[in-house]
Amino acid sequence: MEIDEEQAGETLVIAPCGRVDSVSSDELERRVVFWLDGGTRRVVIDLSGVGYISSAGLRVLLLAAKRLKPPQGALVLCGLGPSVKTVLELAGLASLFTIEPGREQALARASSGAA
Amino acid sequence: MGTGKARKLRVPATDEGIKAALDALESLWAAVGLSRAVTWPVEVSLDEVLANVVRHGLEGRGASAQVELELRIEPGDPPRCELRVEDDGPEFDPLGAAAPDTSLAVDERPIGGLGIELVRRLMDEVEYERRDGRNRLRLARRLVPMEH
Repeated sequence: MEIDEEQAGETLVIAPCGRVDSVSSDELERRVVFWLDGGTRRVVIDLSGVGYISSAGLRVLLLAAKRLKPPQGALVLCGLGPSVKTVLELAGLASLFTIEPGREQALARASSGAA
Repeated sequence: MGTGKARKLRVPATDEGIKAALDALESLWAAVGLSRAVTWPVEVSLDEVLANVVRHGLEGRGASAQVELELRIEPGDPPRCELRVEDDGPEFDPLGAAAPDTSLAVDERPIGGLGIELVRRLMDEVEYERRDGRNRLRLARRLVPMEH
């Protein structure tokens, strides 16, 4: 898995690429925690490059959601392919996240603070 | 696809072992020309099962602990995939764990148990057996796109 990171105004975009499994999710968690500990409060996680995500990856998304609760924080997910979407839904977690189709919409949502 | 394909491997009960097993599964799909659109539920399930064995069953035994895997793809329309995972750790039936309460709020929900619940929902067949001092897990799924 590779992780792309890009600052877009006040919002940080994190884009993991590859499979987010029980091994690689540790690396994603380290990056997320690094930014959140550094004070980042608006985050978009772009999952368009993710082949699949397992429960270990879901745990990282949940951790980010807990630490970025509005109104102080914002977390928006985007680019969910069928596998990621299905896993979120089967886990009963889809309704807990703000989800947008593409990165542009996600950035708009995160910067408006309505996430 | 003519004849079936199978691969047996033994991996250490470590993160490297999980990675080697997932890589082997990916190369097996490639060898029979199956796309991720139908294989991802099996990949997620193998990751969940191995993570469970490595983190819980064989914890503390380090790289000397081994997990034996058999990955088999049976031809057909649709093809079918069967996975067997065996280890000699303490008796542990992952299917015995209670299903998570998905009605709880995000803050209140325990994350443990979620992986095995996903496996139950993603695979057609999941069976656990303790035999000859070994944990034996068998998973099977018809390789069709996931419907839910």
